[in-house]
Amino acid sequence: MKLFTKYSRINVLATIAIFLFASAAYYYVLHYILINQIDEDLKIEENEIRGYVNEHHLLPENVSVQDQFIIYTLVQQPYTYRSFATTNMIDPKEKEREPFRQLTFGIAANHQWYRVVVSKSLEETENLTRSILLVTSFTILLILITSLIINRVVLKRIWKPFYHTLSSVQRFKVGNQYAVDFPATPIEEFDFMNQTLKRIIQQAQVDYLALKNFSENASHEIQTPLAVIRSKLDLLIQDESLTGQQSSTLQSAYDAVQKLSKLNQSLLLLAKIENKQYEAVQEVFLKRKVEQKISDFQELWQAQQITVTYHLDDAVVYMNEELADILLNNLFSNATRHNFSGGHIAIELKKNKLAISNTSRQPALPPDKLFQRFYKTASGREHNGLGLSIIKQIGEASGLAIAYRFQNNQHLFTISW
Amino acid sequence: MKILIVEDEKELLESICTFLTNEQYMCERATDFATALEKISLYDYACIVLDINLPDGSGLEILKELKSGGKEDGVLIISARNALDDKVYALKSGADDYLTKPFHLPELAARVAAIIRRKSFDGNNLIRFDEVIVDLNEKCVKVNDTVIDLTRKEYELLLYFISNKNRVIAKNAIAVHLWGDDMDIGGYYDFIYTHIKNLRKKLLQAGAPDYIKSVYGVGYKFSIT
Repeated sequence: MKLFTKYSRINVLATIAIFLFASAAYYYVLHYILINQIDEDLKIEENEIRGYVNEHHLLPENVSVQDQFIIYTLVQQPYTYRSFATTNMIDPKEKEREPFRQLTFGIAANHQWYRVVVSKSLEETENLTRSILLVTSFTILLILITSLIINRVVLKRIWKPFYHTLSSVQRFKVGNQYAVDFPATPIEEFDFMNQTLKRIIQQAQVDYLALKNFSENASHEIQTPLAVIRSKLDLLIQDESLTGQQSSTLQSAYDAVQKLSKLNQSLLLLAKIENKQYEAVQEVFLKRKVEQKISDFQELWQAQQITVTYHLDDAVVYMNEELADILLNNLFSNATRHNFSGGHIAIELKKNKLAISNTSRQPALPPDKLFQRFYKTASGREHNGLGLSIIKQIGEASGLAIAYRFQNNQHLFTISW
Repeated sequence: MKILIVEDEKELLESICTFLTNEQYMCERATDFATALEKISLYDYACIVLDINLPDGSGLEILKELKSGGKEDGVLIISARNALDDKVYALKSGADDYLTKPFHLPELAARVAAIIRRKSFDGNNLIRFDEVIVDLNEKCVKVNDTVIDLTRKEYELLLYFISNKNRVIAKNAIAVHLWGDDMDIGGYYDFIYTHIKNLRKKLLQAGAPDYIKSVYGVGYKFSIT
């Protein structure tokens, strides 16, 4: 929910509640005051009647004035009640049912008890109440609507810097060079927010760069000691007095250095892709590249008795050529490494996709873990587990979609663009 | 022939010198930019092995100095940076080859030998090892005037062995030489064994002695008995 919507909703609801409450209260107060006024009139009438009876010992002549009737009824017992009431009765003049206010009291004249009912029409009063209420309600409504509109306009203007900042921050991505722009604002809170964001963003950029450089520098720094170890091993095996046992120890050391070197290269490659050092893209003619790779691998496949079928159409993809080589290399290496003697690899290149499938002793791979760094299957312990994440990373950097499926007992990787 | 090794990591420098020094090569050492500059101005070298990252300057500056001085010394760049751009830049600046750390010493020796061969003025593209003659231009191999038919990998392997004659070459070094560091498949050793077996068979069939000796499963040595 947007800030305005939320605010307006609360505001409108409160306004409606106030409006309803104020109108009702106003109506009842007004009504109460006017009824009181009429009751006063009725009491004056009662006093006049009592005064007349005291003076003349007779009931006064029944003179009906505008909207007021007096009815005398002879009663047998002394009547001492006195009460006000509001009833509907038929106006003898207009022959319509109308609301009346009545004062009923007893009076004695000529040794007789009479019940006197003085009725006064409420129609005028009601009309007055209604008019006043209408005007007042309309005024309140007008004030509320105006305040709502003013709020909206003013709020929008006041929050403008906030939304500007929001859209700036939204466009911001750590690691890209887009400068975040926060215009100066006279509102202290927003200014404070902008300053804070600016500081955080700058810090994030600095940290990100440091981290980026760190992994790349670390990988570079590891290369030299690795080179030293390798060179020492190369020297050590020149020794003619080495025993078989020592040689096999050396072989293990060679293999470990080889693995470490490969791991370091892979991590460096990932860091460099992330650091956007392969931004130069060009037309890559995949058919030629795939053919080249097939001939590179032919010998290995023959040695492992892996049969390979392929169908290659012309395909052009815009990407970094070095990355294209690495991508194909990893895909082919994977299909070969996880295969078995007498297995099969199928390669299909179409205008907008490349599919490579291979047989393997491994069951289907979990698609959510497959591309994670250092993910290894039970039989893949020998490998560093970075091959697929490099494939994934290259895909992301080059705008290629990479999908994995297990079908017909074959592992199928599809690259589409 | 004199070779200059410019490398600030002393242990690596020592390894390289020990490995390269033989009856054919003599190594000189420089561990920093200033020493290297001084040496190249004073002497001519058949080949300079040059590290790019030196504590007091860049190896590329030395390369530029060398080229602007009109020197003909061969230059092999060794660097921890494995980026295509760096390679292209170094080669454009006049380097003869580029090798990324961590390399195998036999690989370095083979590259140095190749540079020296290319730089030698005699225009002789024949390499002779005992009864074997390799014609680099024709890419053909003769044993006692019998041409032997080698596959590309066997040819590369033979050349690698000859460049490292009398040294033990680790299987890992052979694997990296034949397939590069990129191809990531494992089970290299079977392939190496197959290639070596075939090469040895072809040489023997042509009447050459058995030059290739296995050294306790860790590597191979190419020598005249």
